[in-house]
Amino acid sequence: MRRWIWLSVVVAFAIAYPLLLSSPFQQRLGALVLLYAIAASAWNIVGGYAGQVSVGHVVFFGCGAYAAMGAYAKFGLSPLFGIPGGIVLAVGLAAIVGVPTLRLSGHYFSMATIAVAETMRLIVTNTEWLGAAVGLSGPTVPRNIFDLSFLSALPYYYLFLAILSITLAITWWMTNSRMGFYLRAIKDSERAARSLGAPASRTKLYAYMLSAALTSVAGALYAMMFGFVDPESGLGILISVKILIMAALGGAGLLFGPLVGAAILVPLEEISNSWLGGKGAGLTFVVYGAIIVLIARFQPGGLLSLLTRRSRSKVDTGAGYAP
Amino acid sequence: MLLEARGITKAFGSFKAVDDASVTLEQGDILGLIGPNGAGKSTFFNCLTGDLKATSGRVLFEATDITDFTPEQRAGLGLARTFQVPQTFEGMTVLENVMIGAFLRTAHRKEAETRARAVLERVGMSRLAEAPARSLGTPGRKRLEIARALATEPKVLLLDEAMAGLNAHEVRLAIDLVRDIHRSGITLVIVEHIMEVIMSLASRVMVFHQGKEIARGSPQEVTSNPAVIAAYLGTRAAKAAAGHTPVELMGGPDP
Repeated sequence: MRRWIWLSVVVAFAIAYPLLLSSPFQQRLGALVLLYAIAASAWNIVGGYAGQVSVGHVVFFGCGAYAAMGAYAKFGLSPLFGIPGGIVLAVGLAAIVGVPTLRLSGHYFSMATIAVAETMRLIVTNTEWLGAAVGLSGPTVPRNIFDLSFLSALPYYYLFLAILSITLAITWWMTNSRMGFYLRAIKDSERAARSLGAPASRTKLYAYMLSAALTSVAGALYAMMFGFVDPESGLGILISVKILIMAALGGAGLLFGPLVGAAILVPLEEISNSWLGGKGAGLTFVVYGAIIVLIARFQPGGLLSLLTRRSRSKVDTGAGYAP
Repeated sequence: MLLEARGITKAFGSFKAVDDASVTLEQGDILGLIGPNGAGKSTFFNCLTGDLKATSGRVLFEATDITDFTPEQRAGLGLARTFQVPQTFEGMTVLENVMIGAFLRTAHRKEAETRARAVLERVGMSRLAEAPARSLGTPGRKRLEIARALATEPKVLLLDEAMAGLNAHEVRLAIDLVRDIHRSGITLVIVEHIMEVIMSLASRVMVFHQGKEIARGSPQEVTSNPAVIAAYLGTRAAKAAAGHTPVELMGGPDP
């Protein structure tokens, strides 16, 4: 019951936010929080629930961003038409990358995903058709509403809110299905999960593909809002890191963890950037580094895990044998 | 014939942990695998469950060659196992742990929960259903391993030292549970160090020593076998102990 009250409060606030805090800066900030929350929630499916810490998720983000801008720049279509293309690209790539890498454990998987992302960035940087280092631009002047090119951040805010809701609904549905249970089991002990009949490789691969599809949508939305994509903003490794830290800070493997993380980190970055200007750009990443250390040391479960306080004390060991 | 292993050899480099071991298991058997530490019984066990891939030899289940099957495929056929060191899903409740097993036979959450609760009732853990699994101590974890495996509705259950680390009272409770499981028609393979468990449960015993099978037969037969005593105690001690009953020497119950 309390859960539902909290949920309604959060939803009501999310809907009212851009009307209450209506300056362009605040609306844009809200839209960015939601955008990163979508990406971090998508990452959470494979990084949080399945425990496969992908540091190369930006590659799927880039699939969506390039597909959306490519639809306009190459075919004169609305960037919206790029979204399905981006999803297909991302899912296909996830299947190709996932089959050999998902069997790697721990850091090895993370490193493999970084290698894939960096390789892709270099390939795109050297591909003239994709704009090389300059990147691709979206419509400068919208031809119609379907170009989704707005001056105000308000339409983006509600679009992102809708997509975030869908992302969270998919995640929620997954956690309550057999797949979600299997993922959590595999994360704790892959060997035991397999002995109980959980097809570990296949389950992780499906999660990876689902996560890739949603991440590519986030990438497409990002490119639409900013009106362009280049190798740094679409495929830079720091985007992966940002997404990962948001999920970890809020609580990886928890439904609302990534949203909480994004709601803390995005404003922090925006404020530090606007206060410090160009000089402070690097400082954000110093802060990220510090956050990684703090989470790892003090609260590996993330901030939200502080709320879901579970008993840590040992139940009487004899209790397992009560007849 | 339910389960059969033919000429299983498992080599790690040039070292043969299991050397040409064969066994057949009939419906209703309780097969005990015993032997000193490092004898190869756990390696052999893991070749049966698919956790390890045998270097050579075949494994057959209900006349199907399952040598190349993954552990999850074998679970699907009705082969379940427990782990010597409990592999509890720490982030889940006791009930959710058992539901992972139940999900093998149903894709529906509600149905899996119903079945898992029934299994917990059966093993006497229903009071702990909602407790976080990480709060369990060793006896609880060992029992949870068995509950999870039962939830997969196995035909054969392989127990890897399911009673190690339990006190005498807990061992007796666990033996009762295994008897109950056997009565319900599940065939069992047990790897065990505690002789009392083997003596009171196993219908047939296979003894490993240095990777090879050195004896098989009823528990009484193998424990009076000089080769078995020598393997456990060393040749000299075996001679000196000739006047005592072997069970006694191996830490079994008083005669």
